[in-house]
Amino acid sequence: MVALLARFRLVGACLCLSVPAFGADFGERHTWTIDVDLGVPSTSSDLGPWTTGELGKLRFDASDGLGGHRVMADYRGHMTQTLWVRAVLDYVDDASPGVDFTEAYLDWRPLPKSANHHQVRFGAFYPPLSLENGDSGWASPFTTSFSAINTWLGEEIRPVGIEWSLRRRLGFAGSPHELRTFAAAFYGNDPAGTLLFWRGWSLHDRQTRLDDRLEIPPVPVFGPGGVIVGLRDQALEPFEEIDDEPGFYTGVEWRFARRALLQLASYDNRADPWSFRDGQWGWRTEFSQLAAQIDLPGGIGLVSQWMTGEAYWLIATTPTGSTTPATRLVREEFESRFLLLTKQISPLHRLSARYDTFEMTRAASLDIDRGHAWTWAYHYQPTPKLGLALEWLAIDSRRDMHWGYFYGLPAQATERQWRLQLSYRLRNTDAT
Amino acid sequence: MQIVSKRRYCVAGLAICALLDFSVASADTGRFVIDVSDRDGLPVSDVAVYALPVETAPAPPAALPPHAVMDQKDRAFVPHILVAQTGTAIDFPNSDSVSHHVYSFSPAKPFELTLYKQGAVHPPLVFDTPGVVTLGCNIHDNMVGYILIVDTPYFATTDGAGTGVLDGLPAGRYRVEVWTPRLRPGEQPEAIEAGVGVGATATLETRLTAKLLPAHGAGHSSLTWSRY
Repeated sequence: MVALLARFRLVGACLCLSVPAFGADFGERHTWTIDVDLGVPSTSSDLGPWTTGELGKLRFDASDGLGGHRVMADYRGHMTQTLWVRAVLDYVDDASPGVDFTEAYLDWRPLPKSANHHQVRFGAFYPPLSLENGDSGWASPFTTSFSAINTWLGEEIRPVGIEWSLRRRLGFAGSPHELRTFAAAFYGNDPAGTLLFWRGWSLHDRQTRLDDRLEIPPVPVFGPGGVIVGLRDQALEPFEEIDDEPGFYTGVEWRFARRALLQLASYDNRADPWSFRDGQWGWRTEFSQLAAQIDLPGGIGLVSQWMTGEAYWLIATTPTGSTTPATRLVREEFESRFLLLTKQISPLHRLSARYDTFEMTRAASLDIDRGHAWTWAYHYQPTPKLGLALEWLAIDSRRDMHWGYFYGLPAQATERQWRLQLSYRLRNTDAT
Repeated sequence: MQIVSKRRYCVAGLAICALLDFSVASADTGRFVIDVSDRDGLPVSDVAVYALPVETAPAPPAALPPHAVMDQKDRAFVPHILVAQTGTAIDFPNSDSVSHHVYSFSPAKPFELTLYKQGAVHPPLVFDTPGVVTLGCNIHDNMVGYILIVDTPYFATTDGAGTGVLDGLPAGRYRVEVWTPRLRPGEQPEAIEAGVGVGATATLETRLTAKLLPAHGAGHSSLTWSRY
């Protein structure tokens, strides 16, 4: 699968380079946006940041100072009138290697011959599940840190496959009602759910790039009698294909003009929970999502997503007094929801507030990650190129783990974070 | 001048009162002033109004071919609704720095203007069939525009005060039509017949009694409606 992903990235890069050959007029066929985000976090937390393999839900810790939180290039090029290539190249200063793609895909939109609008995407891309991450490079225009749901989508969900969608207005040509359905078959993404299980939910803005290896909390290895005999130091590659079987997602979306949108979707990576390859375990991960966004009176926008799902895998164990390995099903149930209110006060100022709740429960155990978070954000954009964001994030959670004593961690965790971010945006058009 | 026809549709109605106005329109022609309001009595802008002569054949275009422009600006069609006489040649410039790919699959004029950017010039398209032509952009899903082709040179769209003025009409009887994409096809008001005299202005009031659909792209939104 590493090879497959590498091939995709190679194809993406080749396509980017080859596009000029299709048309003499470079500017006509290419759209790009480059974002440079410099930030200063100020963090106070009972737990260390997840990015270094600890159990915290934040990206930064108290010692982090000014840093390059993200440098991103979002490129879109037309190969023909209806076929585009899209690639998002990403640099963050707290992951390695430094530069990698978060998405790379072909996007085909045949010209409509009727009210049916078809679209096909092929490559590595986000499923169209987030109502928060609508900005270039899958960033959020509302807050710097994403909701728990979309943070997780950014961490562990990135199919490599083919997606078809159909959009049509209902009834007459000017009808405000529009229906969209989408369905995808994909490879990769078999370990999805691993990080959620070992670490729990989190809230941040670091998107996993296609070839990233993520630190997960050191997993205790149990010997006979349930005694911890060591730690498995495992790095996670969430987008790997392990069992060579495809997964699927599908959804339906209704839209009423630019007033309301409602989406129902489900995802199933159909990974074989027995599978293991190159240090990565398959987790069968399924979830459903209900999402809505509505324009409220007073220019206030509401965004909400509710996700519920489960993931499981089978591990081999050796019961006390036996030399015969047995299997044990490890299953997690997870659920999260958020409600975000945002108001663009003027072209320069935006205020947003979000409330998240989240829960991950390991079935038949006391292993629970449960909590809630408040996020308050103010965005100031004095020019189209320059943006300033100030954000307050407060997470309160409880983590009960059967091996919690091993870490000597408190069950109750309080995590607080101020974050000031300066963004510089460069693009070759006034919009994408 | 009197109301000639006053019909009520089941869900949409048209109430007119034609008033004799002694303000002089022109030496040898008359004028219709049409005020369009919604069911709450508030003015409705961007409504197409046009008058078809009842007794005589439609007047030929004043200049051949008449010319019109449907611009693309800030990822929107400008104007949102363009009314033009049958046979009009319409230009589709692009005032945006992003490319557009304009198309229509409406029976009155299916066409496609391949990817083009700011400053690029396509030859104008001639619209020679009356009817509604719905425009879209294959790159920007939210872009919707309308061209209404009519068999008359007497047309207008209502302004912010809900008023459309049809000027230079030869004296006679006309069928006055009103059309907006904010009403479903079955809810468009019935045409009304009215007369206009030389040098006179006839004021017609139209009330759209069916509930109007939201105006396209109207109002400020704090949310992102174009998908990533």
